[in-house]
Formats: sequence, C-alpha cells, structure tokens
Amino acid sequence: MSLLNSVLGGVFDILLLPFRSLPPMIGLVVISALCSVGMLLGYKATSNQPAIEAVKRKIAAGLFEIRLYNDDIVAILKAQGAILRDNLRYLGLNMVPMVFMMVPFVLVIAQLQFHYGYEGLEANEPVLLQVTLQEGASSDVSLELPDGVRLDAPAVRMAALPGTAWRLVPESSGSYELGIIVGSERLTKTLVVDDTVTRRSPFRLAPSFLNQLLYPAEPPLPADSAAVEIALHYPDRELSVLGFGQHWLVWFFLLTIVLAFAMKGWFGVTI
Amino acid sequence: MLQASRWRTYAAALILAAAIAIPGTADAYVGPGAGFAFVSSFLVLFSTILIVFASLLIWPFRVLWRAVTRRTSAKPKIKRFIVCGFDGQDPQLTDKFMAEGKLPNFERLAKMGCYKPLKTTFPALSPVAWSSFSTGSRPARHNIYDFLDRDRRTYLPVLSSTKIGSIDKFLNIGPFQIPREKPEIRLLRKSKPFWTILGEHNIWSTVVRVPITFPPDRFYGAQLSAMCVPDLLGTQGTFLLFTTRPDDDTFKEGGMRVKVHMDGDRVEGTLLGPENILRQGTPPLELPVSADLDRTDSTAAVRFGDEEVDLQLNELSDWVQLTFNAAPMVKVRGIARVMMTEMNGHFSLYMTPIAIDPDKPAMPISHPDYYSVYLAKMQGKYSTLGLAEDTWALNEDVIEDRHFRELALDIDDERKEMFFTSLDKLRKGSLVCVFDATDRIQHMYWRYLEKGHPADDGRESDCRNAIEEIYVRNDKIVGELLDKVGPDDLLMVLSDHGFASFRRGVNLNRWLMDNGYLYLKEGKTGSEEWLLDVDWSRTKAYCLGLSGMFFNIAGREAQGIVDPADVPALKEEIAGKLKGLRDEDNDEVAIIEAFDTAKLYTGPYLENAPEFVIGYNRGYRTSWDCATGVVDAPLYEDNVKAWSGDHCVDPRLVPGVLFCNRAIDVDDPALIDIAPTALQQFGVEPPKHMDGQPLFRDSNDPPRETNS
Repeated sequence: MSLLNSVLGGVFDILLLPFRSLPPMIGLVVISALCSVGMLLGYKATSNQPAIEAVKRKIAAGLFEIRLYNDDIVAILKAQGAILRDNLRYLGLNMVPMVFMMVPFVLVIAQLQFHYGYEGLEANEPVLLQVTLQEGASSDVSLELPDGVRLDAPAVRMAALPGTAWRLVPESSGSYELGIIVGSERLTKTLVVDDTVTRRSPFRLAPSFLNQLLYPAEPPLPADSAAVEIALHYPDRELSVLGFGQHWLVWFFLLTIVLAFAMKGWFGVTI
Repeated sequence: MLQASRWRTYAAALILAAAIAIPGTADAYVGPGAGFAFVSSFLVLFSTILIVFASLLIWPFRVLWRAVTRRTSAKPKIKRFIVCGFDGQDPQLTDKFMAEGKLPNFERLAKMGCYKPLKTTFPALSPVAWSSFSTGSRPARHNIYDFLDRDRRTYLPVLSSTKIGSIDKFLNIGPFQIPREKPEIRLLRKSKPFWTILGEHNIWSTVVRVPITFPPDRFYGAQLSAMCVPDLLGTQGTFLLFTTRPDDDTFKEGGMRVKVHMDGDRVEGTLLGPENILRQGTPPLELPVSADLDRTDSTAAVRFGDEEVDLQLNELSDWVQLTFNAAPMVKVRGIARVMMTEMNGHFSLYMTPIAIDPDKPAMPISHPDYYSVYLAKMQGKYSTLGLAEDTWALNEDVIEDRHFRELALDIDDERKEMFFTSLDKLRKGSLVCVFDATDRIQHMYWRYLEKGHPADDGRESDCRNAIEEIYVRNDKIVGELLDKVGPDDLLMVLSDHGFASFRRGVNLNRWLMDNGYLYLKEGKTGSEEWLLDVDWSRTKAYCLGLSGMFFNIAGREAQGIVDPADVPALKEEIAGKLKGLRDEDNDEVAIIEAFDTAKLYTGPYLENAPEFVIGYNRGYRTSWDCATGVVDAPLYEDNVKAWSGDHCVDPRLVPGVLFCNRAIDVDDPALIDIAPTALQQFGVEPPKHMDGQPLFRDSNDPPRETNS
C-alpha cells in the first residue's frame, strides 16, 4: 500500500505541477476532465450497455405515454408506475459499474484531497501540532523545530487523550520537517508553508489499511510507535467560483458528472 | 455476453461487500461514479413526478375544455371498437384453411358473431379500399382511384394520395442556404375519416399503419402513417445494391446500383443519400461505406459512416442507423437493413430502402409528432416506409425467397407489438391496425400456390407454403386478440380485398394503339416509359396505373382531343370492345368488363376519376410494361416475376373478409359500411355524405340500400 501511495503521490504531484501556481480551479477542471474520461471508459467496460440502453428507452417511452394519454388519469398513473419500476431497474444496472469505479476513485479522491482540501499556511500564521499517544505510553514528548519555525506557546498536555499539543509559527515559506521525540523514538511530520496547489499532509497515522488508503500523503507511523496520530491543523479550503464557495469535492463531483455527460457521445457510452 | 455480465456482477458484489466491511469515512468517498446513476435517476424521478403532478393539476381543466370545445352528447353502445385489418386476406383461401382446421381462432370468432365476404371497392386496390374504409365513401368522395394519378398537363404519373412540394425560397450564407419556408406535404385524400369524426365527439382513436394516412390526420388520438410514406431518398421504396459488378440493366421497378471498389479484402464506396437542402445546389448527402472481408468465415465488418455492423454472408442484419451530416449540428437519419449477398470474386451488398428513422423522423410520419418516437422508445426501431416490405428486391432477384419472407415477417412482428401495446392502453375508443404481410406474401408467393404458374421456375424454395403460414400466423393474432376483448368491445377482423393469380399481363395501351385509340409520335416505337412516345394530338384514350383507363378529353387534359359531348359514345364503343376480351393464345377471357366510373360513383371528385375501371379476369392483370407506360410490348404476355398474385381484377372476384364478434344485421356487408358502423356504435350519427350504412340496424331504421 505504501508503495502504491508513493507511486500515486508522485503521479499526482507531476500531474498537478503545471497548475501549481495557477488558481486551484483550473487544475481541478483539468483533473476532472481526465477523471471523466476514465469514468466513461470504466463505465463502458463494466456496465451492461444494451440493458441500460433498453431500460432508458422504456423510461423515455413512459414519459411520452404520460404526454400521449394525458386525458386518462389511469393511463398516467400506470405510466408513472412503469417509470418507477424501470428507474429502479436502471439504478440496479448502475450499481455494478458504480462499485467498480469506487475503487479507483477512492484512491484518486484521497490524493486530490491533500492537494485541494487544505488551505496553504502563510508565514507567521500559527498552526496547531497535536500528537496522540497509545494508552499507557510514556508521556515524555518533546519537539525539535527546524530553522524558520518557532513555538508560539509552551506545550499543552491534553487531558482527555494521552498526548501533547503545540502552537507553532512558521516564519517564512517553505517545506519543513518537524521532529517529535516520544521517549527514545524520533518521529517526523512535514509542515508546508506555501499558498500554491501542493500536497499538504494534515495527518500521520498508525499503519492500518484504511489509514493508508485514505491518508496517503505521508508514510504511516511505524507499527510499534508509541504515537497513534500526529496532526497538523491546516485550515480547510473552499474553492470559489463567481463568489460561490464550496468544498473542492463538490466542484469535482459536479465537473466530472457534467463533463462525462458532455463527452459520453464521443466515447459511445450510454449512461 | 451473459458470462461477462455475470462476472461483472460477481466482482461488483465482492467489491461492494469489501467496501461495506470497511467502516466510517470510506462511505463519503463513493465518488462521482455513483453520480451517473443517481443524477440520471433523480432527474427522471423528478421530471416524472413533475409531469404527473402537472397532468393531474390540469386534468380537470382539460376535461372542461374538451367538454366545451367538442360535442360530448354521444351515448356509446360499446366501450372499444377494435379493427384488425389483414390486407388482402382472401375469403376463398380463408374458407379452405378453415375447412382444413388450420384457423381455429377465426372459426371461434365466426361462431361468436359472424363471418362474411366483405365487398371491396372499384378498383380493388389498397389505397382506394382503405380510403373507403376510413371515410365510409366510394372513391368519388375521397378522391383516391389508384396508387397513381396523371398530371393533366404532362400526362406523367403523380402519386395519387400525397403531394410533397419543394422549397423555393432560401437565405444564402456562403456555401449554405437556409430554407425560408417549409415544403408542402399534403394528403390528397378528401372526406373525413371516422376517427376524425369520433374525435370531434371526444372519442379517442389509435390508428396504426392504415394506408393513405400520410401526412397523418390531425384528430383526437394517435396515428402512425403508412402507405405513401416515402423513404429517405423521397421515393416509394428504392433498394440499393452496392456491388463491384459492372453496370447491367437498371432495375425496372425501383432499385439502384451503387458502384463500389474492392482491393483485396477491403471494399469502399459512397452512399448517396437525400438532397442536402442546406447546401447551395442541393448536392446529395454522402456517407462513406466500407467493408473488411473475412472470406474464411464468410463475414464482413461493414461501416456506414461511424456505424459498424458485422455481417454473415446471406444473413440480414438488424436495423442499421444511417446518419448523414447535412451541416454542423444538423443530421438526417435513416434506418435500413443490409445483407452481403456475395464476397468471392465479386462483392455485393443489398440494402433495403432507407426508411425514415422513427426516433428522429425527418418528415411528419405520426400524429402527434412524438407518437412515432414513443413507439420507437417502446419497442425499438421499426420500418416507417409506406410499402415497407421490399417486394422489388425479390422481383429483381436481388434477394431470395427466404430473405423477403424474413423481412415481411419481421415487419409483421413490429406491427403486432404496436397493435397489442396500443390495445393494452386503450380503455375507451377505437383502435385500427392494418397488417400488410398477408398482401405482400400473397403477391410474391402465389406462384407456389397453383400448379403451372409461369413465375414458378421450379427452383428449390422453403417458402412454398408461405401463404398458408401467414394465414396461420394471422389466426394466432386473432387468438391473442380474442383473449383481450371484453363483452363491451366490438371487434372486427377484416381485409380490404381478396386475392387472385397473376399469370398473364395485358398491355391495354397496346390494345388501344392496335384499335386506333392511341397513336405514337412520328418515328417513335413506343418503348419509352411513361407514355413519352405517345402523340397526344391524335390519342383518344390511354391507361395509367394499375386499373384505370383515361380519355384524352379536350379542356381537361392539356392536349385533349375528345369532345366532352362525345365521351358517352366513346365509352360505349370501347366498353363494348373490351367486354369479354379474349386471350386467344390461352383461350381465356382476359377482361370481364370495363366499368364506367360515371355509373359506379357519385361525388364531388368524380371528374378526377378515370373513365373506366378495368375488370380483369382471374389470372390477368395490367402488364408490367403497361403499368409503366410502355406501349411497344405484346398485348398478352406471361408474368414470370416473383410478384405472381394480385387483386387488380374485377372487384367482384376479390371481396375481402369480415369477421365480427357480434352478429351483424345485413347479408352483404361492404368495406364502406365500417366507418358508419363505428360512428353508430359510439352513438354518433353517420354524416349523410357517407355512402356506407351501419351493419347493425334498429327496428325503426329505414330499409337498407343494397351495396353495389
């Protein structure tokens, strides 16, 4: 999984490199278009196209039937019933490609989340670093800061969880590696101070399959580590179009759907 | 295919199970893949609910509006009037097959109500007969006398039922032109069909493929046009043969040869489609055609533009979509079926006439406009061409017996689905559907029904029993129909005419020339089609179409020479000579009688009628040459074409059939009686201009006139 994540991470870093200094929406549109093509090809390969075509024709026939027999209430209701039945069938036929597409899209969305999901930090903007430890682990935790990053306040031990939190202030833009010492163990965490579209990792987590799947931006913590989570609280990002701000995933969802519908004819796909 | 589908389903189930097993955040990452399904479904659901809601909301207002705008006083005696027409079903054959026990459902229907011969029209031709059926009138009231009429100025043939005009006004923009008017498409049938009158009384009708309904009638109901709907090339059905063979004779009755080039296993050519009215000069639309041949498997991958179809030698394809690009964003669509007929040595590919795509019709082929689209969505592509069964390709030996039968029966299946779908939706009102396969099959396979038919060349054919098979097939349709008909329904199963053999052709233009009524231009032989060699300054009479003889009357025809005052005498003279005209070679009567139309009909359009309807004897018909206006041909000749049965004979010899689920009150029902019967049964007084009379009579009805 780590290998897959590092490969995918590299691919997405390269893919998004040309858009790094551009407004985030531009890169997202391009990525969405590529994903739409992938979705269409995947959908075509994994769906039962003749059956989908047939059921869509039936649904359309039902709509025409409502129009044709619009003086006959019984006919209208029967047509409505038939449309609902066909719609359920259509949904059923879509389940198979949907499940197939879920796998690549979890990976893609996880990658994109770390490029588009968090706002970049600015120099002198405070950020909270939080280390959560295993139950009963040594509470002897300290922090090694690189040049350019300073502590804004003393460490705070968390009462509810075994762990410690620090408020840091990066003094200039750049990519930093923070050192966290837990007992005799030294752990690291990246800190990116940059307002471009680049990979930002808010979490470093214990090495479970799910954690690696969903948080691929940094390698997991060692399996025998006393820490279970190192979190760096980047602010969430909203992408704004004509003053209408939404989470990037909403735009991604809309763009991929719209572009896929627009391009389905080119690829001969019935959706 | 099925295995691939199962594999997909199993794999998807596994992945889904794994995804469900992974808890929490994964659910949020189902991703936009799901969007396809849910966005589409949501849109459908949303729009359906909206449409239904709107329909329910405006329903009371519609009812009120209909009550105000249409007469609703009718008190129907029946709930549904269902007419199932089998074009050309013959009473003699029906009797024979019933006696042999092969038509149990027809027998059942006859026992329920009645079975009688049904008097047809003069002439016994489908366009005339079905027009009389729908209007309850003889031809002088509906103005349809044959498939063809003549242009009085040029003497050239014109379609009798439809006028399709051209566009003259355009706005020119570079190489393109934008039409500034719509072409005139007008139905020439006069009088009102009974479904229009029923609609005026708020009674719904569904009319499926009844001949002479193009362009469709506008009435309260739905209609799919039939006979005279052109193909995409604007003809009444031109099949195409893409071939590497050198030019030969042109096809006489309506096919077109398209030259293609073969280089090894690759064949290339161009399909020339309809005129592109959006380009200056209206060049034909083009579609590249190519084929990659695999001779070891006898298969080919054939492409028409972007559409690809895999063909097996001598096997018909399903419908193939043909899309012509007329201008950016403007496409003209047609559908056709294709078949590779040879691939070794030479390559030939047969294509049925290109039918208007019902899903995106290029012309108005239904009422309402979207009715053809609705049917296409409901059951898939179907043939829209007026004369949908490609009889000409079999006549020209381009396809084999079995291919024609396959084409005809597939169209019959399409029709059956339309009919039963419409029947299921009809709760009140009328439904009329005409099945054409009986007519076409009898036309093409009659040669196998009687011994010694000149068109039976003794070739092996698995269609020797095709006529009996189509009657049995009709019987099954009747069986299904009877299961769906209730006690309040009036069901009629009928045909427009019967059938007879076509063994000998008669060239009456030749007879007219031999008897001094028709003259050729100086130096001409009479071999030109469409009477182009005729000297009109001396000609008194001529034949055009399948049944009519016209006089060249002064003041009516452009070069008319017969004084209107002399018409009765000329009629008497020619009728006297034609009565009992003998074919001495075969020692048979060829023409029983020439019927004077002035005595047959009354009505406002009598002046458009031919002077005579020719009553040929059984076994005789107008010859192929005479029908196309060639004079230079023998008076009598054997018919050796596959088109070997016909009904253009003395109409008294070829009545249709009438089966009804109720006993009727008359002994001599006629086709013109059906329309007034329909109106009477729905409580609507039949209009006085209808020639027909209701088949059900009340005790206080005036005495019925005998049907002539």
